[in-house]
Amino acid sequence: MNKAALDKLQDWSAAGHRTVQADTLMMLAAEHPEVVALSADLTPTARLVPFKDTYPDRFFDVGIAEQNLIDFSAGLALEGLRPFAVGLAAMVPMRPAEQMRAAIGYMKANVTVIGLEAGVRFGPLGNTHYAMDDIAVVRAIPNFTVIAPSDPLSTHKALYACMEHEGPVYMRLTGGPGYPVLYPDDFDFQIGKAIEYRSGSDVAFVACGSLVADAAAAAEILESKGISTRVVDMHTIKPLDTEMLDTVFAENRLVVTVEEHSPFGGLGGAVAEYKAGLAGAPKQVIASLGDKFQRLGDHKFLMKENGLTAPDLAALAEANL
Amino acid sequence: MANKETVELVEQKAALMRRHVIEMGYKAGGRGAHFGPALSSIEIVASLFFGTMNHDPEDPTMADRDRFVQSKGHACLALYSALGEAGYITQEQMDTFKGDGSFLAGHPTRNPQYGIEVSSGTLGNGFAVACGMAKAAKIKGEDHKVFCLVGDGECNEGVIWEAAMNAVKYGLDNLVAIIDRNFVQLAGTTKDIMDVDIEALWRAAGWDVLVLEDGNDATSLLDALEAMKASSNGKPHMIIANTTKGKGISFMEGSLNWHARPMNDEQYEQAVADLENAAG
Ligand SMILES: Cc1ncc(C[n+]2csc(CCOP(=O)(O)OP(=O)(O)O)c2C)c(N)n1
Repeated sequence: MNKAALDKLQDWSAAGHRTVQADTLMMLAAEHPEVVALSADLTPTARLVPFKDTYPDRFFDVGIAEQNLIDFSAGLALEGLRPFAVGLAAMVPMRPAEQMRAAIGYMKANVTVIGLEAGVRFGPLGNTHYAMDDIAVVRAIPNFTVIAPSDPLSTHKALYACMEHEGPVYMRLTGGPGYPVLYPDDFDFQIGKAIEYRSGSDVAFVACGSLVADAAAAAEILESKGISTRVVDMHTIKPLDTEMLDTVFAENRLVVTVEEHSPFGGLGGAVAEYKAGLAGAPKQVIASLGDKFQRLGDHKFLMKENGLTAPDLAALAEANL
Repeated sequence: MANKETVELVEQKAALMRRHVIEMGYKAGGRGAHFGPALSSIEIVASLFFGTMNHDPEDPTMADRDRFVQSKGHACLALYSALGEAGYITQEQMDTFKGDGSFLAGHPTRNPQYGIEVSSGTLGNGFAVACGMAKAAKIKGEDHKVFCLVGDGECNEGVIWEAAMNAVKYGLDNLVAIIDRNFVQLAGTTKDIMDVDIEALWRAAGWDVLVLEDGNDATSLLDALEAMKASSNGKPHMIIANTTKGKGISFMEGSLNWHARPMNDEQYEQAVADLENAAG
């Protein structure tokens, strides 16, 4: 990992995922002339003003036109460029879902689509601005890789991994300002290879996105009660790391999947689908946003309301053990 | 021609609505508000609610009410302030804007009981839904009109043009759309982001188009709305109202910085002073 990234860690944690991805795209652009960035009238929101100013010929704002954003990116990719199309997770994989399928997935275009403020991070803006279904939609498109990194450096490293990866990627980002740091130093990040953040033999939290930090905090609570708890950072939801899951199923008594997403088709769904073919796997509980539109509230309120805070997760695990 | 009392009422309500926008947005604290987009729309929404539209806050779901669809949903404060002034919602309810458990989110959520016809927030959709509502009125043989507020940046969206063609196909002359052309969108000016002649595009799509040089002027708005409401020429109607983003607040007018953000104490005091000065 480049030193510049480590030097920025404190700033990145303070600023949140928008800044991490924008700064990383600048680093990638400096190293790879084929990298281009795109936005749909969200340049300042996506913190891409420095990119636009530094690389005016490699930055495209297509207007408020998400379908065009995806198709245009696909065209660039088919001709050898490496587009990173950045938008709000609530808008970008959903409005152009069909373009994601036909223009990117079907043609294996090397486009990385970045969904900012995924889950219910946009709290007071209301349900049109929540992305509770993006993993489900993109996961169902063949050839797509789906990544939900958990912290600043894993977000940074995931973007570098996208650059080396052949094929379409959707990256959903969650951690806002105060992005919890799980990895303070360089570490091994590979697409499709989950990270055992902490080991334990009773409960296993299998989590993605910034909720990995909450799962880790929940694990502390359980440990203090003598319940041995494993935490898996399942940053890649597709392809799923089934080797890691095999270990979890063999060694843990209860699996709690944790995601800021609908209970259908997300991380919990992916784990359950894999588990369905296995005999004797342990019980799984899906901690999620539920199958509903949300009441209005800020992010903290919604996490509490949906039982996704550390004490809630610990209680859920304890009740199901 | 709009009568003098109506013009005065709309101007008076517009001033009160601006004050509500500032108060609600300021009270939202760190949650912020879309100040600029709401302020450019104030006279348009005030003209509709206090001049043009047939509606009754005592009977919010009456069958023959005119419908208002705010497609540029991020400017919800323009709608909420009108609903407050018209008596659909109380001051207490306005004070909950963006709060935990409130029904007044940062984008409108359908709630006909309180005068909110359509949920919006993802740009383009409200307009296409409004076209469906206008067609439904025709199918049912109802005389009410559908009014729809659209952003100029919002016209970048593909669904806007899909719906524009469809509205012409079905001869939706009971639909009056108003573009709040404030010449600014989120990331920059409309000229910088997508420099198109929207007037020519709407005409080419087959709409009956009228451009208002001052879309923050109640008299011209009321006249234009009245004329289009009365017209049944077989074409959907479009008023392109040239406005100022952040209208009425010195440090917001035409600014690229006031699309959406929190307001601090100093800014709040300045905003209130600006409104009080304007009131004289
Ligand atoms: C489908 C969709 N894409 C992006 C956004 C984010 N967004 C909110 S407001 C806005 C700019 C709107 O500009 P305009 O229509 O000109 O309205 P104004 O704010 O100038 O009144 C954008 C891009 C959105 N709400 N919906």
